[in-house]
This record gives sequence, structure tokens and C-alpha cells, in this order.
Amino acid sequence: MSVIRKSFAPTAIKATIGAGLGFALATGAVADTPKKGGTLVIGSPQTPRHLNPAVQSGVATGMPGSQIFATPLRFDENWNPQPYLAESWKVSADGLSVTLNLRKNAKFHDGKPVTSEDVAFSIDTIKKNHPFKTMFSPVAKVDTPDPHTAILRLSKPHPAILLAMSSSLCAIIPKHVYGDGKDAKRHPMNLKPVGSGPFRFVEYVKGQHIILERDPNFFLKGKPYLDKIIYKINKNSNSLALGLERGDIHLRAFNTKSRELGRLKKNKNLVVTAQGYAAIGPIAWLAFNLKHPILGKKAVRQAIAYAVDRKFINEALHSGLSKPALGPIAMGNPLADQNAKRYDLDLGKANKMLDAAGYPRKDGGTRFQVTLDTLLSQRDVAEYLKPQLKKVGIDVKLRIPPDFPTWANWVKSHEFDMTVDVVFNWGDPVIGVHRTYVTSNIRKGVIWSNTQSYSNAKVDALLEKAGVELDPAKRKQIYLEFQKIVTDELPVYWMYGLPYHTIYNKKVGNPPLTIWGTMGPMDNVYLK
Amino acid sequence: MAERPAGAEIPVATAESPAREAWRMFLRNRSAILGLVLLAAIVLISLFGPPLYGVDPFKIKGAPFTPPGVDPNVPLGTDHVGRDILAGMIGGGRATLAVGASAALMTVAIGLLVGAMAGYYGGLVDEILMRITEFFQVLPSLILAMVLVALFTPSLYMIAIAIGVASWQSTARLARAEFLRLKELEFVKAGRTIGATDKRLIWVVILPNALPPLIVSATLIVGVAILFEAGLSFLGLGDPNIMSWGLMIGSSREYIFDSWWSATFPGAAIFLSVLSVSLIGDGLNDALNPKLRER
Repeated sequence: MSVIRKSFAPTAIKATIGAGLGFALATGAVADTPKKGGTLVIGSPQTPRHLNPAVQSGVATGMPGSQIFATPLRFDENWNPQPYLAESWKVSADGLSVTLNLRKNAKFHDGKPVTSEDVAFSIDTIKKNHPFKTMFSPVAKVDTPDPHTAILRLSKPHPAILLAMSSSLCAIIPKHVYGDGKDAKRHPMNLKPVGSGPFRFVEYVKGQHIILERDPNFFLKGKPYLDKIIYKINKNSNSLALGLERGDIHLRAFNTKSRELGRLKKNKNLVVTAQGYAAIGPIAWLAFNLKHPILGKKAVRQAIAYAVDRKFINEALHSGLSKPALGPIAMGNPLADQNAKRYDLDLGKANKMLDAAGYPRKDGGTRFQVTLDTLLSQRDVAEYLKPQLKKVGIDVKLRIPPDFPTWANWVKSHEFDMTVDVVFNWGDPVIGVHRTYVTSNIRKGVIWSNTQSYSNAKVDALLEKAGVELDPAKRKQIYLEFQKIVTDELPVYWMYGLPYHTIYNKKVGNPPLTIWGTMGPMDNVYLK
Repeated sequence: MAERPAGAEIPVATAESPAREAWRMFLRNRSAILGLVLLAAIVLISLFGPPLYGVDPFKIKGAPFTPPGVDPNVPLGTDHVGRDILAGMIGGGRATLAVGASAALMTVAIGLLVGAMAGYYGGLVDEILMRITEFFQVLPSLILAMVLVALFTPSLYMIAIAIGVASWQSTARLARAEFLRLKELEFVKAGRTIGATDKRLIWVVILPNALPPLIVSATLIVGVAILFEAGLSFLGLGDPNIMSWGLMIGSSREYIFDSWWSATFPGAAIFLSVLSVSLIGDGLNDALNPKLRER
């Protein structure tokens, strides 16, 4: 795989809209000329711990983080890498080196230039601190022959490397600010971040708002269009919906509430779209603790799978807004197995399998009792699973956590039987899929690691092979084989792709609908 | 009561025992009767409704968000998962009332113990106990209960205990005041003179006379405790495995704009039960207060 990109001509930038940048948008919003100025208000239910995506994953940090920090590359809505901080790049034929040619006019918000030293420092910091270990682990070192050239030296081919250098995954942080020897995860400047993205940091009041303003020295001439972005934080989704209806809030992303979406769809000032989540690939699943004496048995897990009605979840619970997830790779990803074993609802089969597994119904009709935890956002699905599994004689005791950290504590310390969980693909399986299934990632104390304690030598070998295979066709074959095994063994039962939707006011021009959506830079967004 | 000479003309009213007289006073109060009837109905439905109606309140019985009156199978509609609201209404009362009653019992037990000790012994004991009471009194009780429930796994017992621990202070102060007043009265002094122990004086001599205001306050606390349970469940701190009205409201609060019925019906049930206990409390207050008897 070898990609060469020329920097695009300045005329292309002047050419009115983002169309020149390869951001032709599916909504057909390309008709107007972007207007400068204005304040975009984004509603968000989440309070980020801090704003430095180099050491913190997740949506809460990623949304504002991608505005403050630029990344070497960005992706359009068709999975094509685009130049960003790097005006061009080259992957060597053996896949063992990636050369980035950085823009010469890029400056951090404090006025200092962005150099290859900063790139090397950032990748090193991410490698050491970011929870996604597989993202840069093959990068042995970063050479800096001159201030505007960075060469990543890889110990093995890494098919996900370009994606790993895009939005929210590879924030380029200034070495002169974060390289002072303090712990990057707790660096005081994570709350007053300095980056080179289109917007610079103004203020963050936890639980209230984040204010960003346009950086006049941003390296893409004429961008960004907006003067300010305000992230209004309100835990209550209903209040955010009311804000959208009133027009106080222009945009809200990551909404999964089907009834609310149904109502907002009817509002003629708003647009509701499911676009902008392709890379995130959010899959909701029922995770089993395989150390549990009963759930450790494959037949029991398969029986539970047969007892859960994916169709009911998609059509009734989510009013048709969600789609089933059949396996570990998000269905929108070209690597996903569209013909995976389906486990269509079959209560009779589930009952028989549980009988055969040695758990007959006792007098009360109950076979055994297990606890079921849930992320608060997926509470309705857990509430559905309780009576549903009762139909096959499994007495489910719900544990609703008071907050996210409590839930995370239960799961990461492996003190759970089953839990409803949502895990993101993060674009490439190497980043977001392997972590759930490889034996080496059974790490107590780390959330979204292999908390199920799933271990299969064959799967480990396949995933290792897939992680270095550069030929897309061969790679897909390996992943198909992997999907065949796990969809039979069911360390987790994938239920549905989370129905993430973005709602925006029709006043918003060039809404963020790339594969990273609102977690990508919003330099093209404007207000009509 | 002293022996009366046979054949003496005695007015009927004074021949009654105090309890009977209170009962008669209570029956004269129309709103109290209304409360009593209401509460009796709620208790009867909660006790005998579930076996009669026979639907598991957790069972998915219809399409989610079915409005009331559309599907005869689910007359009051369904919630966001498709659970029968009517089954929840009938089955949810037990937990709500049980928590209300046991939390009130808990409150009175703690409050009475602390208040009686403080009021009877006075001095240093009083000082210490009252400072502790004040310490609890300045803590916002809902938040204290939330912390207690969040610290331990939410279960009905824990919720009842949490409510009890969070709201015993006013009962303690009330009990203390009664004991302070009563311990100086002559019949108590008389008891002490003939050598009654402290234990006997507290529990047998003073307590029965201090009871009327405590009973009234306990009744009102039942209402408060029901609201507490609903509040905790509303905030997501209830026991998700036992259907209660609070749980119904809590789990459908996110959908309030889309399905008014799933929170409104259990809300009305809570309203009616709290109202009924309050009316009874008021009635008891009037009935047990000697100054109002002449009314």
C-alpha cells in the first residue's frame, strides 16, 4: 500500500466551499457560499475529564479536542485520508515507514511553529499514555531529519497507521508545553490545552460549558468560518432536545433516544441524520464473564443469544432507528462479515440447550440466577432483557449503577456476571476490535479491555496476522475467519449498532458528517 | 380507673376510654375518614391485586409506548419497554407502602430512643444526643439518603434504613420535648418515689402519655418516606428488581415528553397514598389533642 498526496493548490482552497477539499457533503448543502462569523452552540450531555485527546479516549474529550488539536491527517466521509497538518505523506512499499511532510505555516495557538519534533513527541506521548495501546505500538521511533519532515519507523507493517493518525486519535501536542516532564495524563495544561487546530481554548467550566474561539493564524487560509464554538453541557437529554427546538442549541451529536429523535425529526427547523459515525462503529453487546461457572459454558451463552430478540430491540425499543450487529466488526465497515451466524429468536431451542447443558427448570420455573449490569444509557435494553430471559427460565437480577464510574469499577475488576456494554470500533479493527478478544489484553483494572477473560489461541494468532497484513483482500479473509470463531463462541453477544444520530439546525452549513463526524475538525462548518 | 359507686349518674362521654373517645373524634372528621378509606383501598389493592390480576409487572405485554385505552390487553398502556402499566400500578404498591411503613417505623424507633434518653436523663446525655441530632439535622436528608443508598447496593431494606437514618431528627426532638415536660409531672414523681426504675418510668409511665404527638408525626412520616422512596427511585437509586411506583416513574422519566401515561399513573398513586396518610395524620392530630376535643 503506497499513498502519495500532493498538497492541494491554493486556488482549491479559495474555491468557495469545502468541496475543493474533498468535503462534498451528502446533504447537498454545497449550494451556498460559507459565511464567516457566528457562534455555534453544541449541546452535549458529557463532562470531559480534560481536553487533551492525546492521553484520553472517548467522545467527551474527542469532540472539543479535535477542534483544539490538529492531527497529521483527516478522513472524508468515504474513508479517504486527506491532508491536514501533513500536506503530503508516503507509506513505503514494505509498510515499515511512513513519511509525513508537514505544513510550513502551521503554528500552535501560542505562536510557536509546529515541527517534526512535536510530532515525534506527540506520538511518543500517545504511545505511552493513550488507552488504545495497539494504535502506535508498532511505531519503533520517529525520525526528524528536518523540522518539517517526520518519518515513522515501524517494527512491523501496520494497516491501521493512517487512520491512527487522523482525527481525535493523534492530537499533535506542543513539546514546549507538555514536554516539561510532568505526567501527561495529569498535566495541568490538559485543562487549558494549547494545540494547532482551527479553534483555540478560551474557557472550560466543568459540567457547564467549554468555549473555543477561532484561531486567526490557523494554517488553512480562510478557515475556520465560525468565530466561536460553545459546548453547552447538560446531562439531561430532554433539556438538550428542548434547546434544539427553541433554537438555543444548533447541534447535538451522539443522541440515541428514539422517541426524542422521532419528535425532533418532525421539527421543520432541524435535520436528524445517522451520518458521521462510520469510523466510531458503536456496537452494543451483552458481555459475559467467562469466569462465571454457568456463563462460562458456550451452550449457555448460545442459548441466551437465541432467547434475545434483536428484531424487537431494533424495531420496538429503538423504533426502527437501530440495526442489528451480527459480529465484532461494525456492520458499516467493509471488513464485517455480513453472513455471520445469526441466532434468530428461538425460545424452544434456547430452552432445549439449557436443559442439555445441565440446568433444568427448578420448581419455580427458574434455572439459575445471574446479575445483569448496564451502562446507564442502555438501561432500557437491560430492562427488556430481564423479562425476556425469564421466558427461558433465567432469573436476571438487574444492577443499575448510580453513575458511570461505579459501573466501570464493577466491570474492570471483573466483578460482574453479565453486562450491557457499548464498545467502539474506532475505525480499524486493530484499534477497536482486537482489544476485546486477545488474551494479552485480559487486564484487570482497565475498562474496555478483554474484561470477559476470553482466551482462544487460534483467535490470538489470527488477529496477530490480521494486524500486519497489508493486502486488503487477504486481511478481510483473516477477519472473516476470526468472525466465524467468535460468533460461534460468543464471548459477548452483539445486539445492535448504537443508533447514534446528529441533530442540527438548518442554519448550520457544512454539518460535520465525515467518518469522524463531530469528532473531526469543524473548520468547514458555518452558520447561514 | 377508680371504682365508681353503683348507680351513680355519669355522663357517657367521660365513661369512654381515651382511645374510644379519640376514635369517635376521628370519625367525626370527614377528611380523615376519606383518608382512611383511600388508604384501605390502596392497601387492599396492593395486597390482593397482584394474585388477582396475575400479570408480572416486569413482563413485556404489548408494544412499547402503547397509550392507555388503545389495546384492551393493556388498559393503562405500556411503558418504554412494553411493560403493562396497570400491572405495575397494582404490583408496585407493595414495595412503596412497605418502604414507607418500615422507614417510618425505623424513624420512630431511632427518634424515640434518642429523644427519650435525652429528655429523661437531661444534662450531659442530653447535650451529647442533641448535638448529634443537630448534626444530622443540618445534613440535607435526601442527599444523605442518596449517599447511603449509593454506597451500598440499592435494595428495599437499604432504602428503608437510609430513609430512617436520614429523617429521625424531628421525631427525636419531639420525643425529647414530651419527655422533658412529662418527667416533671406529679405522677412521674410519684412513680419515682415508690422506687420505679428508670426503664419502667420511661417505657411504662411516660411513654404512653407521650405517644399521641408521636403517633401523629409517625403517620406524617409514612407519607414523607413514600415520597423519599419515589425520589430515590426517580434518581435511579431504587431497587430495579422490585417493582415500585417510584421505580416506574424513575425509569420512564426520560420519556415524559413522549408518553405521559407511564409516569403519570404511578405519580397519581403516590399522590393519593401520601394524601391519604396526611389526612389520617391530621385527623389523628385533632382526635388526640385534648384541647381540640370541645370543638
